[in-house]
Amino acid sequence: MKRILLAIAIIWVGIAFTARNANAQSEEELVQICGMIAGEAQYLKDFRVKLDAGDPPPVQRIPILLKKDVKYRFTVCNSKDFEGKVVLQLFDNNRMLATTYVIGTGKDYPSIDWVCTKTGAYHLFFSFRDGKAGLAVGLLSLVGMM
Amino acid sequence: MKSRFPIVIVAICFLSIALSSCKSCSKDKDNLGEELVIPDSLKWDTPLPMGKPIIDELMQNISSPIETAALIKGLKIPFNKDYMASTKQEESFNTSFDKALALGIYGCDLGYLNMYEKTSFVVDYISVIKRFADDIQVGQFFDFETLKRLATNKENLDSLILISQQSFNRIDSYLRETNRSTLSAVIVAGLWVEGTYLTSRVAQTSNHPRIRETIGEQKTILGFLLPLLKAYSNDPNMSKLITQLEPLKNLFDNVKITYELGEPEMIEVNGELTFIQKDKQLVDMDDVTYKEIISGIQTLRNSLIKL
Repeated sequence: MKRILLAIAIIWVGIAFTARNANAQSEEELVQICGMIAGEAQYLKDFRVKLDAGDPPPVQRIPILLKKDVKYRFTVCNSKDFEGKVVLQLFDNNRMLATTYVIGTGKDYPSIDWVCTKTGAYHLFFSFRDGKAGLAVGLLSLVGMM
Repeated sequence: MKSRFPIVIVAICFLSIALSSCKSCSKDKDNLGEELVIPDSLKWDTPLPMGKPIIDELMQNISSPIETAALIKGLKIPFNKDYMASTKQEESFNTSFDKALALGIYGCDLGYLNMYEKTSFVVDYISVIKRFADDIQVGQFFDFETLKRLATNKENLDSLILISQQSFNRIDSYLRETNRSTLSAVIVAGLWVEGTYLTSRVAQTSNHPRIRETIGEQKTILGFLLPLLKAYSNDPNMSKLITQLEPLKNLFDNVKITYELGEPEMIEVNGELTFIQKDKQLVDMDDVTYKEIISGIQTLRNSLIKL
């Protein structure tokens, strides 16, 4: 009896966790969602971001090369399985150039466009608001030439 | 103790149900009104360093065939099949190093074909790319069948670009995850050489100032590519490739690039936010340097594909 009950419990726990994982959003799904948000812009690259909760909020920094006269689109998608809402910021050395979250207005944007006038290395900073744990995907796509 | 055992089992079951449904507790809290606290780690006074790990990361988009082809097409310059490496050259690439280099070269040409929607040539190029990818054990990341179907049926050409680009990104990630970053760097070198070669061919028929500037600004790109390749210079093939690139670097030393900084402008139209960079990039080189760079990149590329 004891063994049967133990076996049932193990199976039950297994089913419960499998069901949970089956509902979890994969990074690939997030890339697809981001692609839909990006619309007709041509996909160039995706960035997968997973950060633990922390104070100060942890940051994932990714260097990228951007080219002059290209209009880029940065799109972000949050996993529904985590509380954190991602913020993408574009930096050039120590200057913040663009962000998906404008503090002044408190508005969050799923995508922003960047008209680049200088070929060179830039840095993407991904963090989650209020230092919450999060999983997100950022997408870099090409809108067109200027 | 014995009589409590079934209760413990039931408790475990309830706990597992609670855990499995717990994700709904964490969904969709709307914190839009709260201000973002910029992390301390984002505040610094000195420029960000560009060490090897950073350059390794940069490798992923040092040279995007889509951006090169979009630039050329954006200037209304007609497609020219003669600019591309012939698929008949396939036999010239024998070693893994050569095949990775070819993957970059033909990958760039595929981007050029896709951008101009020249689907009739695409199957030839994806077939060659697939064989090179298989030979260096990354063929599983190149979605040949889907690409072939899209090209043959002239279906959704945006998907053709998307899947091509994603295939190359996955190949790059896999090579780096499996400690074969050398090959990944070589692919990037191939992409850059072919992209610059295509631009140089266009430069011979177009005097558009943007093409001239694009040639000149390759100084910046090569400035990232060369240190990346040098990190793998213990490989004799890589060392040879670096030696072949050095004369070009010397030519680019005569190109002067200066910048005027400006504050980006933020514009919101119909809820869509656009940031417009106000920095200015000024590329200056004399005609002799320009012609020597064009000649130098063409000589290098032709020697790499063994023409």
